[in-house]
Amino acid sequence: MSREFAPRITSFLCKWCSYTGADLAGTNRFQYPVSIIPIQVMCSSRVDPVFLIKAFLGGADGVLMGGCHPGDCHYETGNYHARRRFAIVREIFDSLGLESGRLRLAWISASEGPKFAQVAREYTEQIRDMGDNPTRRSLFL
Amino acid sequence: MSAEVRAGRTSAMLPAAGGMDPAITGLLKTALEKGVVDAVLLPMEVPSGDSFAWILMKDPALAGDARAMAPVMPVQGALALRSLTRKGEGSLRVLALMRPCEVRAARELSKLGQVKTGNLLLATWDCPGAIPMKDYIADPAAAQERFAGMLAAGEPLAGGVKPSCMSCIDFSMTDADLHFCTFGGTGGSVPVLAGSPEGQRFLDSLGLEAGADLVAWEERISEKRDARLAARQTAFRETGGKVAGFQGMLSVFADCIGCRNCRAACPICYCRLCYFDSETAKPDPDAFLDAAAIRGGVSLPANRLLFHIGRMTHMSLSCVSCGQCSDACPVDIPVADVFSFVGHRTREAFEYAAGRNDGLPLPLRTFEKTEPAGIMEQVRDAEPGGHSHD
Amino acid sequence: MTSIAMAIEASAAVRELLEWLLSNGRADAVLTPRRSAETGSCDLALITSARDLTDAEPFQPVMTANAGQPLSAASMSGKRLAAVLKPCELRAFTERVKREQGSFDRVLTVSTVCDGVFPLERVAAGELDRLLPGCHESASGGETASGVRETCAACEGFVPMNADISVSRTEGGCLLHLHSARALERLEGFGGDRIEAEPDREVLARMLETRSAAKAELFRSIGGSGGLDGLVDLFGRCVGCHGCSRVCPICYCLACDFESAGLESDLPHFQAILAERGGLRLPPDTILFHLGRLTHMSFSCVGCGMCSDVCPAGIRVAAVFRRTGEGTAALFGYVPGRDVSEPIPVTVFKEEELGDIG
Repeated sequence: MSREFAPRITSFLCKWCSYTGADLAGTNRFQYPVSIIPIQVMCSSRVDPVFLIKAFLGGADGVLMGGCHPGDCHYETGNYHARRRFAIVREIFDSLGLESGRLRLAWISASEGPKFAQVAREYTEQIRDMGDNPTRRSLFL
Repeated sequence: MSAEVRAGRTSAMLPAAGGMDPAITGLLKTALEKGVVDAVLLPMEVPSGDSFAWILMKDPALAGDARAMAPVMPVQGALALRSLTRKGEGSLRVLALMRPCEVRAARELSKLGQVKTGNLLLATWDCPGAIPMKDYIADPAAAQERFAGMLAAGEPLAGGVKPSCMSCIDFSMTDADLHFCTFGGTGGSVPVLAGSPEGQRFLDSLGLEAGADLVAWEERISEKRDARLAARQTAFRETGGKVAGFQGMLSVFADCIGCRNCRAACPICYCRLCYFDSETAKPDPDAFLDAAAIRGGVSLPANRLLFHIGRMTHMSLSCVSCGQCSDACPVDIPVADVFSFVGHRTREAFEYAAGRNDGLPLPLRTFEKTEPAGIMEQVRDAEPGGHSHD
Repeated sequence: MTSIAMAIEASAAVRELLEWLLSNGRADAVLTPRRSAETGSCDLALITSARDLTDAEPFQPVMTANAGQPLSAASMSGKRLAAVLKPCELRAFTERVKREQGSFDRVLTVSTVCDGVFPLERVAAGELDRLLPGCHESASGGETASGVRETCAACEGFVPMNADISVSRTEGGCLLHLHSARALERLEGFGGDRIEAEPDREVLARMLETRSAAKAELFRSIGGSGGLDGLVDLFGRCVGCHGCSRVCPICYCLACDFESAGLESDLPHFQAILAERGGLRLPPDTILFHLGRLTHMSFSCVGCGMCSDVCPAGIRVAAVFRRTGEGTAALFGYVPGRDVSEPIPVTVFKEEELGDIG
């Protein structure tokens, strides 16, 4: 895929952990690609699984969901529910042959600035290799 | 009709040596290229090749791939316009090319605040009818051929189109911003009528040769309309006979499963939560069982006849007889026949015509101290002891 | 299991049972499929008097609505009901009870091994009388009748789960198997001696083999590795009527997400898509609806096939939902309708699970 392709990764990041982790990456100057388009949510369980699908069909090359590590959710159990919902959407994608690799869930805590940057870099490379999302060109969705 | 055409409506000739459809899509493609409009709404064949979908297109190349006149009408065009403009038309100037019944439905929806026409150019064509969706899907190639034949002949084939189309007398609507006189397409050109100043500006900006000989076309339309009118009288008579009396309605709707496809396909029914599916309309279980005891059983899902007669009450005044309801029915109930028949009678009583760009309010949104004769008679008939029945 | 032998055909036997339940005050109302003598139409009927059961056809191979749906409201009435349900309808009702849309209190459920139902199109075209004899013949041999819904031909859930009473066919008539205390109590005094009897397991095993093979073929035929193009091929004809969702017994939401103002697009959104793609389909979000509905309910899909039947564009919705639903349910070891106390997968979680995620 052309190096000019700039992936767009719609990212739902929970306020207490992953979004703060992303902030930390920024303030500490850990480099991560501009592909990440962050959207703050209060908790990963705020993410309606339909958001993931809407972003995917809307042309996002990748969709990232960031939450606290299981057991550390600020609201105690939110991320457990988020994990199940993510699994369901991924399974639906797999069963229909849609590129489930474009969906990613990452557990990143508030102090894990370097980890956020690493996940962002790795995921961006992965998406770059996959190429842009064919939904970007589809008229009939 | 001739007088109307001569009075103020201008016309132009669209060269169509390579066929009417490509000529029309070509014109719209040019309109996009020249920035006369920002987007056009046209049918496009779906990838599986067995249906069409409305595509709003900004890219002129897409207009070249689209169809001007789809043989089949899977989605009533007014539904597409509703989804586009309900929240406001904004600054996007759109030209939508649709069948007359779709534009008429859009006009009714406009009165209901569901379609905003401010930046919309509505264009129509002489319609020979639409192939029933299931028939089209079963054999698209054969259906395309049938449709091409009907377009050339300027009339529907019995059994080849939705039943509503056989009775449609509004197939050549000329009060849209633009109208392509496709039944007058001869000698390698198609007349185009401008029904409004906006339509006129559109034609002017595309440099079409002004003036068209419409005499032959008018005659043809008149002749075809007479035939459809006769078919409609017959259809109304037959339908009237079938639904007469309570038993009639019960019998016609006997197979209804309450799926609401008819309502979903209807362009006029726009309510997000239909009254008949709301908590208010839910039958009380006790009342239900009482009814079962009295009537010898109650059919479930409940209140199917209430739904149909109720829906008629709510929207039949605006019914444009597009026939989508019948097409969507999984058990082949002739919903459109019944709604068209009833709608026609109630519209006549209110002296109202559905789908006109007339600025008149919907009958149920206004009143007169003295209503039209038909209404006054109904009311008098209903007064207890007031009017003798001879 | 405790059973009652009857010397008449299964549907007639159940009609007799329903008459008896009403006449002897063991039920306030019964829910049963019915065939109107007057119009020849099939429907579901709620009946309160034995004399009104003459048109009842408890096991007719027609499904005008998944009975789990209309039973829901009736079951919340507090009245004692008896309901004849096909196995998938009972599973659907169970799923609805879990969603607080119905109650098993005071509902006596009657079911049987199901041979499938004919598509509504064929019934509406008046073919039922012609199809019935062949159907009966196949059933007694443990074969699926030809011409039934494709999801019926591929249904492995044809043996009722958790019915109070299940009916199996025998040489001379049928057996009513009483599975629950409620069944024993409500039927006390009905029919002949109680005997110990089992359904013919061999026939059931043969049926399962046939159905499993058909299911494998169904899943293969609907594709699934088609990717985005495959998905557009499958659902490209969709007209967005949402009939599939309305007739689905699991989809109970009065105000569906996909019809809400919250998910409605507006012009800025359309313009953004036009800028990137040059065009977009109107009304929008056709595929979103199906993927979203799969997300919301696929793990509870019972494979009744109402969705495919009602689709005006002939899309094989049921086959897709059944196939994907099996996958999403399997993630959690879930089987829709197996057990009313088994929680819906999205309402619970395990701290240790799905370790490959995140």
